[in-house]
Amino acid sequence: MNSLIWLHEDALRYDHPVFDKAGENSHTCYIWDADYLQSMDYGFKRLCFIYEAVCDLPVTIYSGNTVDVLGKLVSVKQATQLLVPTTPNPRLGSIITKLSEKMQVHTVEDIAFVKTKSNADIRRFFRYWNKTKKLAMQIDGKNA
Amino acid sequence: MTSDNNSGQSINRVKYKTQNMKILENQFENRLELVSYVSSLVNWLDDANPSPVIGNKQAAKDKLNAIEPKQYVRTRNFLDGKVTYLSPYIRHGMLTLNQVRNHALNKCESPEQIEKFIQELAWRDYWQRIYQSRPDYIWHDVEPYKTGYNATDYADDLPDDIARGETGVACIDQFIHTLLDTGYMHNHTRMYVAAYTVHWRRIKWQAGARWFLHHLLDADPASNNLSWQWVASTFSNKPYIFNLENVRKYAHDEINTGAADNQVLDASYETLTAQLFPNKTQ
Ligand SMILES: Cc1cc2nc3c(=O)[nH]c(=O)nc-3n(C[C@H](O)[C@H](O)[C@H](O)COP(=O)(O)OP(=O)(O)OC[C@H]3O[C@@H](n4cnc5c(N)ncnc54)[C@H](O)[C@@H]3O)c2cc1C
Repeated sequence: MNSLIWLHEDALRYDHPVFDKAGENSHTCYIWDADYLQSMDYGFKRLCFIYEAVCDLPVTIYSGNTVDVLGKLVSVKQATQLLVPTTPNPRLGSIITKLSEKMQVHTVEDIAFVKTKSNADIRRFFRYWNKTKKLAMQIDGKNA
Repeated sequence: MTSDNNSGQSINRVKYKTQNMKILENQFENRLELVSYVSSLVNWLDDANPSPVIGNKQAAKDKLNAIEPKQYVRTRNFLDGKVTYLSPYIRHGMLTLNQVRNHALNKCESPEQIEKFIQELAWRDYWQRIYQSRPDYIWHDVEPYKTGYNATDYADDLPDDIARGETGVACIDQFIHTLLDTGYMHNHTRMYVAAYTVHWRRIKWQAGARWFLHHLLDADPASNNLSWQWVASTFSNKPYIFNLENVRKYAHDEINTGAADNQVLDASYETLTAQLFPNKTQ
């Protein structure tokens, strides 16, 4: 299966679980979307940091509107699926929703800090901490 | 004939599509070249000064190897304490919290020795969970201010003197300059500058949060905005304030903590509470 992997600013590394989901034939890209970056109001230092991090990865950097570029890449690379690391960023989320209307998109979760399904009470930090502390203090955040 | 034409057209289209997608440079002789290339890509920004913090895998690895979690527990509140400087790498997924926690556990004899360090990592996990489940919390007051003021009593915009680090409060200006020059701030100085902005100057936390997000290398809507709300008291039980004595306790020699240069901070907590929150009932 041909996969296209889109690495975005929340997942700039090469051992993210998204790579385990891709077959041998995969192409990885980062998209420098000037309109998006400008609208996020990132400063120069941050943009430089991100660019430097991307250059350190074996990915192709495309410039343009994210939805357009990914749409074109999927057809050029004849990809059957687009794989994207999960992100809480609603702006990236809405891009992912738009892409899902055009192609098969799978989002892939990163390795968790604590392996718990429970949606702990998050109204105050210490309620969350009291529930998760036992696991958080162990290797891989889970019982051995 | 027709089918040949068609396939010819579709090949051309593919070529056109490939050509139409601009591929950017990713190999540079040195960092200066990279910086100048990035500045050519961001013509909407005036600034072209990079941070001294390097954004690559090796730098992330070096910083991870250098962490001293046991010393962190004792010294993290001091501005020259053994904090990790890992936040830009964690923020951009270059390192996971899991990786950092595991690395720290391997550097100690028992997990209890480094509980405070793991708890700080957990703060990030906590804020991220809120971001996932309640994205509306990021820009809206989660709760009312507990300062005796309403949200409407706070100004919408950040004054220029704060943005430029020219408030006239010496230590606050130094902390702001560190932000502007490096894109990094110690947790304690983030708290001081946020409290000064919201409580001394009565500016909406949103204005300060937007400003931090622009400059911080680790800028994260969840950790940043929810921390601003924590300081402001819209996501905590009381407003966070500090005084000059507290800055003196945690600062190092390079920070100007002279009373004459930091007058508005030089008072007891009782006096400051009365001055800053005159309408607060308890
Ligand atoms: C007003 C304000 C704004 C902030 N904005 C951000 C932000 O935009 N991005 C960001 O990552 N952190 C933010 N923080 C949290 C914290 O200040 C930074 O994570 C920390 O100072 C980064 O430096 P360090 O890596 O040396 O931290 P260390 O003290 O060495 O901690 C190790 C790691 O734990 C996590 N961490 C530690 N303390 C906190 C905390 N209080 N909240 C969340 N995570 C924490 C970070 O990932 C950090 O890299 C903010 C705090 C305040 C008070």
